[in-house]
Amino acid sequence: MERNSPAAGRRRLQTFFDMAITLALWAYFTAGFVLLFAPFYLLAGIFARNREQAFQQLNSRFYRGFFALARRLMPGHRWQIQPEVRAIRSSVVVCNHQSYLDSILLISLYGRHNTIVKSRLFDIPLFGNMLQWSGYIPSSAEGRFAEMMIRRIESMDAFLAAGGNLIVFPEGTRSRDGRIGPLNPGAFKIARRCRTPIKVLYVTHTDRMFRRGRFAFDTRGPNTIRLELLGEVDAAGADGKRGLVRAMDRVREMLESRQMAG
Amino acid sequence: MERNAIIVAILRIFTERFEIENPGLDDNLRDAYEFDSIDAVELLHEIEVLLGTRLTRAEKKNAMDIRTIRQIADYIEALAAARAAEGAGGAAERLTSQES
Repeated sequence: MERNSPAAGRRRLQTFFDMAITLALWAYFTAGFVLLFAPFYLLAGIFARNREQAFQQLNSRFYRGFFALARRLMPGHRWQIQPEVRAIRSSVVVCNHQSYLDSILLISLYGRHNTIVKSRLFDIPLFGNMLQWSGYIPSSAEGRFAEMMIRRIESMDAFLAAGGNLIVFPEGTRSRDGRIGPLNPGAFKIARRCRTPIKVLYVTHTDRMFRRGRFAFDTRGPNTIRLELLGEVDAAGADGKRGLVRAMDRVREMLESRQMAG
Repeated sequence: MERNAIIVAILRIFTERFEIENPGLDDNLRDAYEFDSIDAVELLHEIEVLLGTRLTRAEKKNAMDIRTIRQIADYIEALAAARAAEGAGGAAERLTSQES
């Protein structure tokens, strides 16, 4: 009886839609990459004077394309991104972390960006190469990553001064329950070292579109994904360990206050 | 550079730059003080200032596995000795080329 009820039929139809749209988005990631973007990456790899910068621009455009497609295919999800967020330059951008979509959403907003990536991802064939060629920073400096880490950190001053943004999710991993996890000090140390402001962002409801542990996107709405700028923390004044802890506490306070506000 | 002077200089850097007071010579800096690779890059810059010389990529890379103050002292001592030898070698080379 239950299997033939209207509710069960709607669920089956929804599952079908979720899967079809997920496959379309994965097709963009695979075939779309090969057909639309790979030639440009190849040209950038051969001819660009600054290959890392060219790859960052291409990554940003590729993900912009992904979100443009996602908006069309999933109109039930509305997007509200503050113009102030898009206007950020020359900053360390820290954000809470709810979904895998968060990192590519931020990359899609900034042509000149860098980010810290889990070191193990650099070992994935081709994808790892892309991360390396994009100049992304490995999360650890063990073994073969030592030299890469030194080069990236030493060039960060110039990168930020030239208008680039360093995107970091200081919790290091996606939140399991929506609460803000312990913050890692890496982003704060880089901001202090480069005398760069820390811009604090808050993202909501990306986890309703791409749920933890699921393969398929949840295409239903209504859902509003918001990305907002909560404020700025001055890292230049965060000298020493105590200053660093104060800056981290301030960011945590901002994220938690926003989270409590709902 | 004398070993004691090196250790005093390292401890001064740790106090002033990282607000780490009197770490034990064999303390694991990562475990005890959350001294990470970003701090290590900053420390390398301080070592360059201390020695008055730039470090090569290979020399910097070697430093990333260092975990204790004693290992940092060993590292700086070896660098200072290498620079001194290079200086002496360079001077001898200049002398030889002048004589010929």
